[in-house]
Amino acid sequence: MTPLLEVRGLNKSYPAGRKGLFGKRMMQVLRDVSLTVQPGEVLGLVGESGSGKSTIGKAILRLIPSSSQAMRFDGQDLNTLPSADLRRLRKDMQIIFQDPYASLDPRKTVRAVLSEALDTHDLHRGAARQPRLTALMEMVGLNPIFLDRRPHEFSGGQRQRIGIARALAVEPKFIVCDEAVSALDVSIQAQVLNLLADLRAKTGISLLFISHDLSVVRYISDRVMVLYLGRVMEVGGADQVHFAPRHPYTAALISAEPSLGHAPDRIRLTGEIPSPLTPPSGCVFRSRCPYALPACAETAPELRPAGEGRLKACIRDDILQGT
Amino acid sequence: MLAFLLRRVATALAMLLVVGTIIFSMLAIVPGDPAELLLSTGGGSASEEAIRNLRLEMGLDRPLLQQYLTFLGDSLRFDFGTSIVDGSSIAEAIALRLPRTLEIIAAGAVLALLLSIPAGTLAGLRAGGRFDGITSGLNALLTSIPGFVLGTLFIYVFAQVLGVLPAGGYVAFAEDPAQHLQMLILPAVTVALHLSTIIFRMTRASVLEMRGHDWVRTATAKGLSRGLVVRRHILRNALGPVITVVGLQLGILLGSTVLVEFVYNWPGLSGLLVTAVEQRDYPTVRAIILTVAAIFIGINLVIDILYSLLDPRIALQ
Amino acid sequence: MTALPLAARRSRRLPKLPKRMILPAVLLALLIVTPFAAPLLTPYDPVQISVRDRLAAPSWEHWLGQDEFGRDRLARVLYGGQVSLTVAFVATSIACVIGTLFGLIGAYFRGPFEFVTTRLADVVLCFPPILLALLVVTLFGPGADTLVAVLSILYFPAFARIAFSEALRVSALDFVEASRALGTPSHRIVLKTILPNIAGPVSVQYSLTAAAAITIESGLSFLGLGVVPPAPSWGQMIRGARAFMNQDPLGILIPCVALTLTIYAINFFCDRLRDTLDPKGNAGGKDVTSVPAPGRAPVQEEADVIASVRDLRLELRHPKGAVDVIEDVSLTLRANQCTALVGESGSGKSLTSLAIMGLLPGAIRQADGALHLRRKQGGMVDLGALGPKALEDVRGNDVAMIFQEPMTSLNPIHKVGAQMVEAILSHRKMPRAEARSRAIALLELVGINEAARRFDGYPHEMSGGMRQRVMIAMALTCEPRLLIADEPTTALDVTIQAEIIELLQKLRQDYADGLSLLFISHNLGIVSEIADRVVVMYSGQVVEEGPAQQVLTDPHHPYTRALMESMPSAHADLHSARGDRLQAISGTPPLPDARPSGCSFRDRCPMALPACAEARPPLFASADGSRAARCIRAPEAQEAA
Repeated sequence: MTPLLEVRGLNKSYPAGRKGLFGKRMMQVLRDVSLTVQPGEVLGLVGESGSGKSTIGKAILRLIPSSSQAMRFDGQDLNTLPSADLRRLRKDMQIIFQDPYASLDPRKTVRAVLSEALDTHDLHRGAARQPRLTALMEMVGLNPIFLDRRPHEFSGGQRQRIGIARALAVEPKFIVCDEAVSALDVSIQAQVLNLLADLRAKTGISLLFISHDLSVVRYISDRVMVLYLGRVMEVGGADQVHFAPRHPYTAALISAEPSLGHAPDRIRLTGEIPSPLTPPSGCVFRSRCPYALPACAETAPELRPAGEGRLKACIRDDILQGT
Repeated sequence: MLAFLLRRVATALAMLLVVGTIIFSMLAIVPGDPAELLLSTGGGSASEEAIRNLRLEMGLDRPLLQQYLTFLGDSLRFDFGTSIVDGSSIAEAIALRLPRTLEIIAAGAVLALLLSIPAGTLAGLRAGGRFDGITSGLNALLTSIPGFVLGTLFIYVFAQVLGVLPAGGYVAFAEDPAQHLQMLILPAVTVALHLSTIIFRMTRASVLEMRGHDWVRTATAKGLSRGLVVRRHILRNALGPVITVVGLQLGILLGSTVLVEFVYNWPGLSGLLVTAVEQRDYPTVRAIILTVAAIFIGINLVIDILYSLLDPRIALQ
Repeated sequence: MTALPLAARRSRRLPKLPKRMILPAVLLALLIVTPFAAPLLTPYDPVQISVRDRLAAPSWEHWLGQDEFGRDRLARVLYGGQVSLTVAFVATSIACVIGTLFGLIGAYFRGPFEFVTTRLADVVLCFPPILLALLVVTLFGPGADTLVAVLSILYFPAFARIAFSEALRVSALDFVEASRALGTPSHRIVLKTILPNIAGPVSVQYSLTAAAAITIESGLSFLGLGVVPPAPSWGQMIRGARAFMNQDPLGILIPCVALTLTIYAINFFCDRLRDTLDPKGNAGGKDVTSVPAPGRAPVQEEADVIASVRDLRLELRHPKGAVDVIEDVSLTLRANQCTALVGESGSGKSLTSLAIMGLLPGAIRQADGALHLRRKQGGMVDLGALGPKALEDVRGNDVAMIFQEPMTSLNPIHKVGAQMVEAILSHRKMPRAEARSRAIALLELVGINEAARRFDGYPHEMSGGMRQRVMIAMALTCEPRLLIADEPTTALDVTIQAEIIELLQKLRQDYADGLSLLFISHNLGIVSEIADRVVVMYSGQVVEEGPAQQVLTDPHHPYTRALMESMPSAHADLHSARGDRLQAISGTPPLPDARPSGCSFRDRCPMALPACAEARPPLFASADGSRAARCIRAPEAQEAA
């Protein structure tokens, strides 16, 4: 099967602060990230702050400039696509944001928000517009009579549904969910997660689901990719990664997650997450890794097969072999 | 920190150069012959000879680049040339009058700070209360009265009606200190009232903003006394934006004091400037403006450095 | 279905002019329109001289008298206003359009545009406005046209700067990103999305500039360098009347009042506009923390009780009447015990904890209930009976608190050490050096490396996790008996969160003897790790409480149960791709002023009965008294257990 999205060797740097009198320092937030998303697949991206997970989503949507060896979406090369074609392609790839308050223009009604999407791609003009808007509202579980309200009249969960409706309006093949449920209370978060799961089951849409919450990612994703300081640590099936992590960082992350009932046998990490400005040499995780060897400081470990179609970026094969 | 200082000084110098260039090029971009333009008054045109003389005097006959470099070089040495009206040294005239203008501004600024910082702080802390209502209302009214209007009204009330203060004029401090100070009162108060409306507003807003920050709650939760919380965790933080505004306003005052001086016949820069403008004495106007802009850039440099001392994060940006 | 298009037509609702804008808008309109109605108001020509009538007093023909040349003053004020207003508003409008355009282009396209926009503004701002105007007047001679040109040049950088910074702020918002992601063309994003959202600050700037332009125009005319005589202008009228102010004070007063009133009207309008657009800025309210009220409930004297809250009711003061945000909340905090207060946002858990600190915001009032705290000397005190000074002594000393946002909870301009030392010195008399070594010891205790170096560092040099450790160390400076932690790990990464929880556990065991911890969280997972007792809050009420282990394995209240059902982390066996769904709670929590009758949870409750709508249920205690739930079906659940 050809993947819907294929990214190879994605890099991204930001200028960060100054160096000396007039120099600028560059901060590399993504290094050599590769990923694929199959049609109908949900790929979860997990990581802590500074991992670059949100940057990946925006780089793929070409909302921020980045460099990569290859970036193909639905058979088209995103790196060489002229901007007019890119605009047309945007119909097929959409995004849902984290903050339900910042993601809607306070001055526009829901109708205006959804119509902007349809107008841009010349969809459902004239008499076909109203039924389409009604259908969209119903699809995300909102009453269509709310179409002429402005965002401040909605709760956080309802706003998030409007954001989802905006993304769905143009019938995309792929949506980046950038921490789409992180700002919501638990009870509302479950509603939105269920909504996404239903939509995916119904429409066969692909999702890139970005979150810092491992349990949420495990529940919603088919495969999970774990990031640390802009580098991929581990990739594998959602349940596999969650219940039998192969990489020490994944294991630490999962064991750090608070869980109901039993007190977990926690893997202790020491120290703080290093600044992306001054990452450790070799393996970026070695400064906090309980299993680090002297060799870890020498070269950055390659992402390599770890059985069952999984990948990990760790030189040790003698640890974390459970299933 | 050192890098920050050097960067700020370099920026200030660059600004100075740009300002000088703009002032120089204004004469160059004026359509027609600048000399002819400057000598024309009220529709009448000057004689050929006068124009030729002025052109020679101002060096307008030389290539533009050469004029520009000469101008920059002269400005660096504070050599502003001579007035095209009476041929007197411009630098000397400025050196005589600038201190008088600065005196009014300094006296006004001190008064304004003494008045508005405490009042603004109190109003900010008790926003919505009675004190805030009264001071903010008064402030809105004072803001709306231009300095020269206030000055004119002051003269009417204090000099004409009450007769307690002189209507204007100037006596050197060395000559008669008491009278000098008496004559300083009205101009300084006029400048101070105007300046204090702006500082009051900024202080109040800044205090209002700072008092809502999480660290103020932390300080209270630690059990610090109310006074300590206000001084160390509200006022200290609020001062940064306030001094920035003070710096900016001091620069603007260098200009608007012209009006106040004019009202009170205070022989500062204003007299020189107004006469120069009336007589189209461009070299004099140019020199005054260059001087003031340089002072302005200097003040802002000092303010920036002060701010970075108040808030350690500034130097990092 | 047919009703829908109708509904759509009904409301293309435009925001209405808010009430507080009416007065300034009317005043401003009046002052702007009146001068232009001059031909209707006076038959006289403002420049017609009548030397015979110089300085004539007001009469029926000449309402405001005549000036030093015998010209009609009313006509001069009105026509002069025309000139002043026209110059000011034309110049301001030009500056606004050009400046906003510059700002928008600079902010949206960045790069060289950005540089030009910001630097240009910096340069023009170097010239005091009046001086720049004088410079131009020297070259071009006085006159209204010169004034308009000068004022436009003078003020467009201010607009560029405002438009630039506002557009930059708006461009960074997700909804602009969303428009870009939709493929909306740039010009549409700039004009339809960014421009409307920066219109507020730009219009405030417009009013400010118009006022400033009138001031400068009249100032220049006053100097005789603005509008050319004999054309009237207010500045000139003042200039002319100055010489006669002794005989004829009216001549001075009239233009002064006209000028001041006009500027005042513009400023007034501008102030109200600013307040309306940004309600935050005028978020007044006095800066008082609402003081605790004395309680009527008797003091609980069991020796291990550190603090108790009895029947606490808090109301939000509101113009339309007070709303209860917290209703009869009772808590008992014991020594050596960690009590977790659990709930979603708006449940009232943070307010409850702030009440114990005496730190309620000014808008909240303690309407009922009692707050008691055990002081170090041993006795229980009623917080409501203490004066402000005594409360300061209690805070930080007997009870301390750490907050959710470590990034903003420390003052950025003071060194970390100084902030700890001031806490120590406000409760203990000791030399500064001793306070310093004590603070450094505490920093070491909470696991900060190189404590002595960090002591002299600033908060911004530390990561969030480290700052939270500092907050904890600061809270422990005076060995409080009660530590309140309000969502202390919510803002932190999960691995850092684990470290902080571990630190708190360790401190409970090793450090203060008999420390009572009140831990506020929305995360049941963390709560299950740290808490001995759990108190669940929903919509301002305690709905369930009991030993943590019991409540979290066998919840008695349907809300607690539903909360756990909706957590993905509690359902490792479910996966969305296999068709599993989480059991979400339908609807949203009610706002405090819209709670349903009876049980607040009933309209979201899967097991609600008709009886639930009748009366607000009390807390039903279990047989052994260790648990309670606010649900009429709780006794069933308690029996089943």
